[in-house]
Amino acid sequence: MGKQANEYSYPWLEEGEVPPLPLDRDRIHIISQGVADPVFDYDIVPLTYTESRWMAFVVEADEANLKAVIPDPVELHDPILEFWYVIHRNTMLGPYMEFGVTASSTVKGSDGQVWKGGYYPYMYLSNDSPIFAGREPFGFPKKAAYIAAFEHGTNDNYFNMTMERRGYVFHSANGRYSDKPTPHKPTFYGKTDWGRLNYRITTHPSVSNSIHQVTYLGSELPPQFGTGHRFQLDPSSVRTATGEDVRAWYLAGTPFDFMGGSLGNVTCHGLISFTFNLIIPPASIVWEKTVERAESDFGDLLYSTPYKYTMRHRFMTPYYPGA
Amino acid sequence: MPSHLNVDTKYWTLTDEIPNPPVERDIKTWIIGNPSDPLWDIDVLPLTYTNSRWSAFVVDVPGDARQRLCPNPPLTIWDGEDAELVEYWYVNHLNTMLGPYLEFGVTISATHTDSKGNTWKAGYYPYMYLTSDSAVDAGRVLGFPKKMAYIRVTEHGGEKGDDYFGYSMTRNGYLLTAQQGKYDDAPVKPPYFYGKTDWGKFNMKVITRPDVASSEWQLTYLPSKLPPAFNVEGHRFQIKNELTRTASGDAIDWFAQATPFDNMGAEVKVNEVKGLISFTFDLIIPPAEVVWSETYERPASYRGYATPYQYGLRQQFPIHQGA
Repeated sequence: MGKQANEYSYPWLEEGEVPPLPLDRDRIHIISQGVADPVFDYDIVPLTYTESRWMAFVVEADEANLKAVIPDPVELHDPILEFWYVIHRNTMLGPYMEFGVTASSTVKGSDGQVWKGGYYPYMYLSNDSPIFAGREPFGFPKKAAYIAAFEHGTNDNYFNMTMERRGYVFHSANGRYSDKPTPHKPTFYGKTDWGRLNYRITTHPSVSNSIHQVTYLGSELPPQFGTGHRFQLDPSSVRTATGEDVRAWYLAGTPFDFMGGSLGNVTCHGLISFTFNLIIPPASIVWEKTVERAESDFGDLLYSTPYKYTMRHRFMTPYYPGA
Repeated sequence: MPSHLNVDTKYWTLTDEIPNPPVERDIKTWIIGNPSDPLWDIDVLPLTYTNSRWSAFVVDVPGDARQRLCPNPPLTIWDGEDAELVEYWYVNHLNTMLGPYLEFGVTISATHTDSKGNTWKAGYYPYMYLTSDSAVDAGRVLGFPKKMAYIRVTEHGGEKGDDYFGYSMTRNGYLLTAQQGKYDDAPVKPPYFYGKTDWGKFNMKVITRPDVASSEWQLTYLPSKLPPAFNVEGHRFQIKNELTRTASGDAIDWFAQATPFDNMGAEVKVNEVKGLISFTFDLIIPPAEVVWSETYERPASYRGYATPYQYGLRQQFPIHQGA
């Protein structure tokens, strides 16, 4: 025993394959912590995606249930949701799997302007860097989950998707494309005046205040990238299925993820899949509010009993899959 | 006919173990996104741990390498007794308010003195890795530099049943570090901050605006003594001394390397592996204090490092299926 080795070389740095080390840069080039080696770094900017495969179930939920999960000042526009899986093959954050729910919504901004966009009450991803690159600057509600999404068989006619977290499967669906049109589409589809809305909360390390912001991502490309929608869809890649074509569907809430229980008895109207390129530009803040906490408010935050562990504190030890 | 099942019940509400979602509560109790289903919630607080198993390799690291990892301003490396000793630690967290997870970190003794001459002494974390999304995010709110990684921790075999140990950490297909060996229970000198209640913990939090126009750096400080409300005297780490094991440097096989995604293996220069100290403990993590902050502005022309739609070495690795 006692055999020891430390390999200090950086061949990829010497060959210019990666950016200069954070430790050797001006601080304006560090956009996240840790400052010695951030979880996402400035080589993700601008954030572009190529040949991602989007597979969106068109889902209708009870309007009251939806309103109950959408926080003020965001207002629900209609109850047709997108329930989407994505295989991201080439991105500035590396490849990853993703899931989200998008609800057509509006927000009256601090200046009185009404912003229209798809609001995300739920998102799941398979990799840490895009989770925190989404959560921290923008407010995307990303969590980590096991996500599988495939198209296979003759002409890729069959599809299947499954998502699991902490031992619970909370969504799964499979079926066969018929290429018949879905009876509904989300309101925001293809519209350049509808962007994306997120609710960002940044809490001070002392927990003495939290800054609440609604952030807005426009749909039109920033000027430096040309013109048009920042989703560049390949029309030849579109496949569709109706609700009848979705052979099996399972949705459930769990103690760790409320989505299924909160949305209730939804109707799946079908599936729209397509391949696309994407740019995610910086976001703007359209509404902001700071919530201060007095000493007397801290009692409401201390929900647990020290050293007593409940059902939400017990699950299998997670092993990050990125081995 | 297809089979579609929506489990629209919330069976976990049969007991009162789980708080209602933030959208159903006073806004002062919302800590992080998303309001309908946050990544972690107030049932995490107070944040306590029971019977966690800490395994700390003590390594001799030269002063220039330590100072490079401690951003100055505002930090200066400790130049007193045992300044060269750095903690390189794994933890198996069995029972916590964030659930079970595995963790890794590096701790360097450092100080910060403000303009009024007040000095804080603490262990500073340049690197941390965990296996759980909630624990990563809850830590990042306080400024911990957490990423996710695949971590292994094993103690087993021999006369005492836990004489042999093996540790490793992998991310995006690369082994970052690995250790193995056998406890010989030889004395190992710990880093200077061990057991001292006037030494806390430092972290550097980075908050970037959604439009990336600026980033605020906050040096956060966690004291070792608990606030009076916790009604616990002494150190917030409560060590169970009877379960401590040690190994000398000669009893340890050691490997570390940098990867294109993680620079730790090249930046933590190891003059000598001095030994290993393993112990079992209970812990409370209170809110943190911000003792220094500075904001770095970016010009409107800021473009980051990447070229749109061109993917480099850091953007290509095996796709994750998720935790």
